[in-house]
Amino acid sequence: MSIVTTSGLKKVYTVGDTTINAVNGLDLAIEKGEFLSIMGPSGSGKTTLLHLLGCLDVPTSGTVSIEGKETGDLKPTALASIRREKIGFIFQEFNLLPVLSAVENVELPLRYQKVKPAERRRRALEALAKVGLSERANNKPGQLSGGESQRVAIARALVTEPALVLADEPTGELDTTNTVRIMDLLRELNKQLDLTVAIVTHDPMVAERTRRIISIRDGKIESDKAA
Amino acid sequence: MTFILRNMWRRKARTFLTIFGIVVGIFALTVLGGMTARMNQQINGMKSYITDKIEVAPAGSSVRMMGGGMGGVKLLELSKVGEIEKVPGVKGASGMIMVQLKAAEGMSQPQMMIGYEPIAGTSMFNNAKLSVGRELQPGDAGKVLLGSTLATDLNAKVGQPVTLLGKQFQVVGIMDTTLGMTDSWAFVPYQDSLNIFLAQNPYFKAEGLTQGIVVFPKQGVDIEALSSKIQGSVAGIKTTSPKQAEKQISNISTIFSAIILGIAFIALFVGGLSVINTMIMSVSERRREIGLKKAIGATTGTILREYLGEALMIGLVAGACGMLLGLLAIAGLNRATHASNVVIFTVTATVIIGPVIFATVLAGLAGLFPALRAARLNPVDALKEE
Repeated sequence: MSIVTTSGLKKVYTVGDTTINAVNGLDLAIEKGEFLSIMGPSGSGKTTLLHLLGCLDVPTSGTVSIEGKETGDLKPTALASIRREKIGFIFQEFNLLPVLSAVENVELPLRYQKVKPAERRRRALEALAKVGLSERANNKPGQLSGGESQRVAIARALVTEPALVLADEPTGELDTTNTVRIMDLLRELNKQLDLTVAIVTHDPMVAERTRRIISIRDGKIESDKAA
Repeated sequence: MTFILRNMWRRKARTFLTIFGIVVGIFALTVLGGMTARMNQQINGMKSYITDKIEVAPAGSSVRMMGGGMGGVKLLELSKVGEIEKVPGVKGASGMIMVQLKAAEGMSQPQMMIGYEPIAGTSMFNNAKLSVGRELQPGDAGKVLLGSTLATDLNAKVGQPVTLLGKQFQVVGIMDTTLGMTDSWAFVPYQDSLNIFLAQNPYFKAEGLTQGIVVFPKQGVDIEALSSKIQGSVAGIKTTSPKQAEKQISNISTIFSAIILGIAFIALFVGGLSVINTMIMSVSERRREIGLKKAIGATTGTILREYLGEALMIGLVAGACGMLLGLLAIAGLNRATHASNVVIFTVTATVIIGPVIFATVLAGLAGLFPALRAARLNPVDALKEE
């Protein structure tokens, strides 16, 4: 069964008098264990697609199904619950909470899942170990480098063992060395944990490190091929 | 919880100022609350005195006898006592004469000597229990019944003599503390008091005059009806029934409650606005964070609770600080006036808990709107924020 499928997916924005078809009738299926990238120039609708896949946004028309379950008619709380249980997000700007230490940041999704504190801490430390940051567990985000911060964010995304990890330009703020490291880490996690990862990027260097590249232009799939 | 505290700590100066604003209001509320509690105690002490008797003052006087001093107050002819006693339903009546023992110092109660004619089978101090000894009885010339504070002041004991205004009296009883003004009064037979008054005012023809009359009803007589009956049948007087007296007392109480309410409203206004401001600021500063939290699965309710918790915490901390400062001030002021045997403030459970609950609820209400705004943010929009 596919982790996520879309059919006839559309998202229309109205800005003043102009309507923008950010996503314009898109059919897509992502299988378990895939490691894919969604490429396209800026304004091609790739981030909007990612938000729709992650149930952060609701489509204007068409459907998104997560593990075979349609999400179109769900209430905000139910969508929040899907995000909590099934999806892990990684952002370009890391989005770590500055008042929390690295391990507390990783614990955050588990907190929302109402996991008990001791269990939460154990799993968060485990996730930090997977991204090779055990020794930085008690550092605040302000004390971490960009690459380290993104690794904490990755640990936060995988700590709930989600069905799907969605990354929005995860290397956008990193230099080449760190970009390579982060991509290697994501591929490693994909391989070891059978983690399904979809990465939105405009960087060909990132895309060529994935196994499937979906190119998007004007809200539609332009090409979809194995790398 | 740690969340809330750490987020508050992020903007130390702002949080501190917000808290400080509420602290000031709550401080005032606590101190005035202590004052009101004390007022109410005194009023209740007074109430126990008035429930079973009718007070008679000269017609046209606006002040109740017990409240009015000597200067400038109209006097009644003592012959009115006889007239009143003829009204059916009256068990007995007594003239009253007051002499000041010691003027009020600052906030203290003046010490007074009250002369009255003890009437057999009646009690002047209906509910106030005596701590030792007995009330005055007919034929008790040269004897005195002391209020508790005054007794302590004079170091008086039952059966021993005390000197009041140069005359020796034998103590027959000491009253329980009522927390009312009678605590600093001495009660003596009418004639003794009159003699002292005449000695003090040799040119004042006070014989046959009285400052007020206390009327005791017969058992089972409707005291309110009797009061209007006396008013109707004796000329030149003004009666105050227990109900009327109580109403006058409640008016005082109401004024104080209004002051407290006014302070509470100022605290509400200032504190509420600053909490709203602080919370709106922290919500707009943290829009991205809210977006992130929603992205990783926080529900609207979770975000609402987080922000509401922050507002409540501000209120709780500010309320507790303000209340503690208030108690400190009350303790200090009470200590300062202790020497003159005066208590201006009383600390009751309401005085302690009330302001804290008030501040917490206030901050919670003020934080509700910003918290709702935060909780309802669209995660996609919130994440785009720079």
